[in-house]
Amino acid sequence: MITDNGVLIKVEGLEKEFSGMEKRALNGVSTEIRQGEVVFVIGPSGSGKSTFLRCLNLLEVPTGGNIYFEGIDITDKGNDINSYRQKMGMVFQQFNLFPHLSIMRNLTIAPMKLQGKSKEEAEATAMELLKRVGLEDRADSYPNQLSGGQKQRIAIVRALCMKPDVMLFDEPTSALDPEMVGEVLNVMRELAEENMTMVVVTHEMAFAKEVASRVIFMDSGTIVEEGTPDELFNNPKSERLKSFLSKVL
Amino acid sequence: MEFFQNFADRFYLNFIAEDRWKYIVNGLLTTIEVTAAALVVGIILGFIVAIIRATHDMTGKMKIPNFLCRVYLTVIRGTPVVVQLLIIYFVIFGSVNIEKVVVAIIAFGINSGAYVAEIVRGGIMSIDKGQFEAGRSLGFNYAQTMIYIIVPQAFKNIFPALCNEFIVLLKETSVSGYIAMQDLTKGGDIIRSRTYDAFMPLVAVALIYLAMVMLLEFAFNRLERKMRNSDH
Repeated sequence: MITDNGVLIKVEGLEKEFSGMEKRALNGVSTEIRQGEVVFVIGPSGSGKSTFLRCLNLLEVPTGGNIYFEGIDITDKGNDINSYRQKMGMVFQQFNLFPHLSIMRNLTIAPMKLQGKSKEEAEATAMELLKRVGLEDRADSYPNQLSGGQKQRIAIVRALCMKPDVMLFDEPTSALDPEMVGEVLNVMRELAEENMTMVVVTHEMAFAKEVASRVIFMDSGTIVEEGTPDELFNNPKSERLKSFLSKVL
Repeated sequence: MEFFQNFADRFYLNFIAEDRWKYIVNGLLTTIEVTAAALVVGIILGFIVAIIRATHDMTGKMKIPNFLCRVYLTVIRGTPVVVQLLIIYFVIFGSVNIEKVVVAIIAFGINSGAYVAEIVRGGIMSIDKGQFEAGRSLGFNYAQTMIYIIVPQAFKNIFPALCNEFIVLLKETSVSGYIAMQDLTKGGDIIRSRTYDAFMPLVAVALIYLAMVMLLEFAFNRLERKMRNSDH
């Protein structure tokens, strides 16, 4: 269920405190992710951008605030988070493919066990997606036989096999050798062109500029500035964003 | 020649006369039976305890079950297995008529479970946190993530340690004689008490244990290699 104005995820006053840490990782973050939007979250390390992303599917449990996914408050403990996570694909910096399973099994285990798909059905979907990322010949390989770029493309496909409503990317190219970044960004670019709703935490500023429909700049656990790529990259208003951009561009 | 004649006579006296080999064979079968059954009990118990402990370590939940598991581990690992066997036989089942083999299976199963538990827990904790997160992010609940993602990987890592525990267990059952159960060791000892010859029956018993352990190690090594080959 999508709310009337196309809001897929609504975040209200999100707070996250890690025990033993003085500063809050998130300090009252509020924003909305609309359907079809490609939102990039940028900011210096320690700004809380990864924590923000990981709160969206409750891999980190927020200590305050609310997250509404398709109109339902998923921070409410009465709601079964596992069923919502099936609709929120996630791609990790370290790929996190399952090393004991073949690529095909990596892709089909969740659709088969969680969505009750038959083996044939799940494999057909997986094969179709593998072809799109050019890795159909690796279906019987194991993750450790693949390069980093290939692993990350498989990780994206694994999330897509669940037919998610939104894809969350947590620094998807940060662990890759430079020559492999392009192949992963290409897959993400295609997804964006197909109007997949995406939230991307990244350090790839040029890519953000090119693909983002909206950019969020975070620092010290808060959203400092948000707007179109043009607004943020070409006309930054806050000093913090200006100084950040002068370092990374 | 005299030596060989002497050896043959002693062999006859200890194993052939009065069908004494039956003590060895029946004892061996009992030892295998107790070891195999205790292994199953130990692995089931060990995995349950390990998952409770690992769940507590990772999520902070299951405080009371975790406490009970820790008491179990401390008591079992802190006391000799012979004493545990005697207590289970004479105290816990003291007033019940129960087969000694069953008592031995319970005692060695409970004992082995404590060691298996810590091996398995170590294996679970050694799996990268990212594997857990990837499982949860796909929508698997905690138990499904454990079953499909974490435990299969942990099992591969801890397989050599589990094999070692199996071998230790096989040899530890040799104390079953304390509750007068006729296992392999007790069988050899009975022959010794009848023939007043210690060398023949006891060395025979030792060689049989040695052969079993070497056979198991050979099988485990092959299995391990096979598993490693499939781990790409």
